[in-house]
Amino acid sequence: MHLLAWILRLLGVMALVPAMPLAAQNTPNIRAELVAESMSPRAGAPVSLAFVMTPASGWHGYWKNPGDAGIETSVRWTLPPGVTAGPLGYQVPERLLLAGLMQYVYEGAYAHPLDLQVPAGLAPGTRLPIRADLDWLECTREVCVPAKASLSIDLTVGDGQVDASDRARFDAIRARLPRPLGAEARFAAAGDRFRIAVPLPASLSVSDAYFYPLTDGVIDYAAAQQVTRDGDRLVVETASRAGAAGVQTLDGVLALDGGRGFSLSARPGAVPSGGEPLSQVDAAGAMSAGLFLTAFGGALLGGLLLNIMPCVFPILSLKALSLARSGESAAAARRDALAYTAGVVGVCLLLGGVLMALRAGGAAAGWAFQLQDPRVMAVLLLVVLAVALNLAGLFELPALASGGRLAGQGGAGGAFWTGVLAAFVATPCTGPFMGVALGTAVLLPLPAAMAVFAGLGLGLALPFLLIGFVPALRHRLPRPGPWMGRLRRILSVPMFLTALAIAWILGRQAGADGMTIGLGAALLLALGLWWSGRRQVAGRGIWPVAMPAALAALVLALLVQPAPRDAASAATGIAGAEPFSEARLAALRAEGRPVFAYFTADWCITCKVNERTAIDRAEVAQAFRQGNVAVLVGDWTDGDPALGRFLSAHGRSGVPLYLWYPVGSEAPEVLPQVLTPTRVAGLVNG
Amino acid sequence: MTSSSWIGAGIAAVAIAAVAVPVAAQQRTGAFARDFRLNDAQGQVVTLSQYRGRPVVLEWTNADCPFVRKHYESGNMQRTQAEAIRGGAVWLTINSGAPGKQGHVDGAGARAVMTRWNSAPTAYLLDPRGIVGRGYDARTTPHLYVIDGTGRLVYQGGIDDRPTANQADIQGARNHVLAALEEVRAGRPVSVPEARPYGCTVKYADS
Repeated sequence: MHLLAWILRLLGVMALVPAMPLAAQNTPNIRAELVAESMSPRAGAPVSLAFVMTPASGWHGYWKNPGDAGIETSVRWTLPPGVTAGPLGYQVPERLLLAGLMQYVYEGAYAHPLDLQVPAGLAPGTRLPIRADLDWLECTREVCVPAKASLSIDLTVGDGQVDASDRARFDAIRARLPRPLGAEARFAAAGDRFRIAVPLPASLSVSDAYFYPLTDGVIDYAAAQQVTRDGDRLVVETASRAGAAGVQTLDGVLALDGGRGFSLSARPGAVPSGGEPLSQVDAAGAMSAGLFLTAFGGALLGGLLLNIMPCVFPILSLKALSLARSGESAAAARRDALAYTAGVVGVCLLLGGVLMALRAGGAAAGWAFQLQDPRVMAVLLLVVLAVALNLAGLFELPALASGGRLAGQGGAGGAFWTGVLAAFVATPCTGPFMGVALGTAVLLPLPAAMAVFAGLGLGLALPFLLIGFVPALRHRLPRPGPWMGRLRRILSVPMFLTALAIAWILGRQAGADGMTIGLGAALLLALGLWWSGRRQVAGRGIWPVAMPAALAALVLALLVQPAPRDAASAATGIAGAEPFSEARLAALRAEGRPVFAYFTADWCITCKVNERTAIDRAEVAQAFRQGNVAVLVGDWTDGDPALGRFLSAHGRSGVPLYLWYPVGSEAPEVLPQVLTPTRVAGLVNG
Repeated sequence: MTSSSWIGAGIAAVAIAAVAVPVAAQQRTGAFARDFRLNDAQGQVVTLSQYRGRPVVLEWTNADCPFVRKHYESGNMQRTQAEAIRGGAVWLTINSGAPGKQGHVDGAGARAVMTRWNSAPTAYLLDPRGIVGRGYDARTTPHLYVIDGTGRLVYQGGIDDRPTANQADIQGARNHVLAALEEVRAGRPVSVPEARPYGCTVKYADS
């Protein structure tokens, strides 16, 4: 028996051996590193430190509330006298649901930033040895290992100098922290259901949301969360736990798609029911008839409108005439109209299918998104210009002629190919106008998105269906003749105007440099096409010249770079407002002008309410005009780090913030978070 | 069969399913603890109800979990077990690890673990399908439950109030299980009826 026990003990020890390297100090499973934003912090000011954690593949670390299992990270400091460390910051986590147990984790690199307060009165050059013992839990999907590391960094009291690379690194770390929502949420428990209402502007687009609770024992972590939106409110519903009874405060982080996270605190209160489910994608099978009809009807109207858009109209009206020309009997006209419609709708569905396939492939292939890329706009400019020059008669397109051969076959086949051609030729220049509609289609569930594309095609073909089915309309169409050539030349004018509009958008997106490059490419293309046209007149081929010119122009167009965002972003809200920057603020104050600066974000309901009710008002605008007040707007929607630093320098961790800089005063007056028009207008006289 | 007898059979089937497979739902503190039946490490059948009249401690375990090892390698769990049993309580250690997952044991494996750690629970119960674990909503190893002599659940949560894997934190921690047993023995209400369980996840079968 003794021997057996001894063998078993030995086996036990042997079983432990493979686990030994895992438990070693500062294991390689998650590498921990202590870094500082400034190696020479100023006395009397905070300096940012961060524990940068890098998990090996397959390992994860834990959020402050680890979920159903796991533990939070803790730190024991050894600091010089007077130096104090703030609490560890936690970035927005991810969910890991394993065998019905939810864990809130980081599966990729993460960091715990914190503020270290350096006491005032320390002489520059004083060494500050910072020592930290960090304890955390690192796990794979199967095993967990408690890990610890003794980390140190030696700072020297100095001028607070921050290197650009350190600034960028810490800005990236802070960008993943949740930002204070700035509005109080409400919660209500009924039976075993728990509902949280979060104030969030209806204008903010949200496709995914999850509430990470910090208060333990109130909601069931592993239960699914249903998210609905109703006006300026987002409601999360899930299953409650026993702790839900009698809880007075529920803290947590609301994570939205795109890595946005907002820390909030909820109090008991009424949570209204109703609202639209957040994600119709989940319920693609049970898509409501209402959504389908709205999408289809909207697209139908859009397609109809496309017929009179300047770039589409010229092409389509010519095709219409060719269609009308061929119509002898009423039956043939109806057949041609149907075939034409089939061609148009077919092409639209095909393009839609390609876009959907790209979306399914994981590419964020939103049309609207692509239109934000100045290179796409530059290419579009070239296409539209080429169509305009063609209409103006500079050259003839052999491809169109061969398409015309197909289209000119007569009968239903010819009409079908005419429809295909019309839709193809029309599509590139629908971009600028339909970009938003198509962008919406990309976000819709598949059947609704395809309905949008079909509706677009049907709307585009609708006038010709009418011509085919209503003989009175057909008889009123003019006879073909030399006037068509004149009309074609005239119709090149709206096309050139379209090109002008695109050039303007390009200028907004890419600045004067980008627009010049785009226009240079356009000039190159125009010269090439001009030469091609001359060759055509002489009876020679078009491609030897047109092709290289088009390619060269394309390469040039792809060189267009987006302008820095500041130049392009126009401030919203009150008239005459400019985007905020500390340099602009200093310049305006140096001019001796009073400045009203406010800081807002699209997700901040308090900000939006204040802007609507107290800032964007006629009386305020008039008072500001009289007082020659400059208005600066800081938009923190994307969490601009420079704005974040300015906010924290004014004691705020988030928006809104309203600052009034009277002439000749050193420090600004910080206005309350709830404003009235009289309060704001009264600043000028007060 | 008539349609009414079909309905009757359906209701019976649902009722049987409800009894046989406890759904994953939190056991309410203060309510009667759900009865269960499991095999122990020696292959004997053990039910919760056979211990009615004595306080029962349920302890979920996984010998490879560092949080479990914190309390066994320091001797804290064995001391808690011995003190509970000395005071008249029953201690049931339960392993809900699924076959192939970390910490899963069969009867021989369970006996080896008890020998290695010199632990002496009233019984070491095997729950490889996780039915009892899910029925009690056991989420971590360790996760502890105290049931009083009348069969009511009076405590659920962690063994103590120091959620770490560090043995040094045992000294000075409040042992919630011993405190609850002491209060049950004295006929007082349990002052801390729930605390946060901490540790590794229970390695349930993938559902």
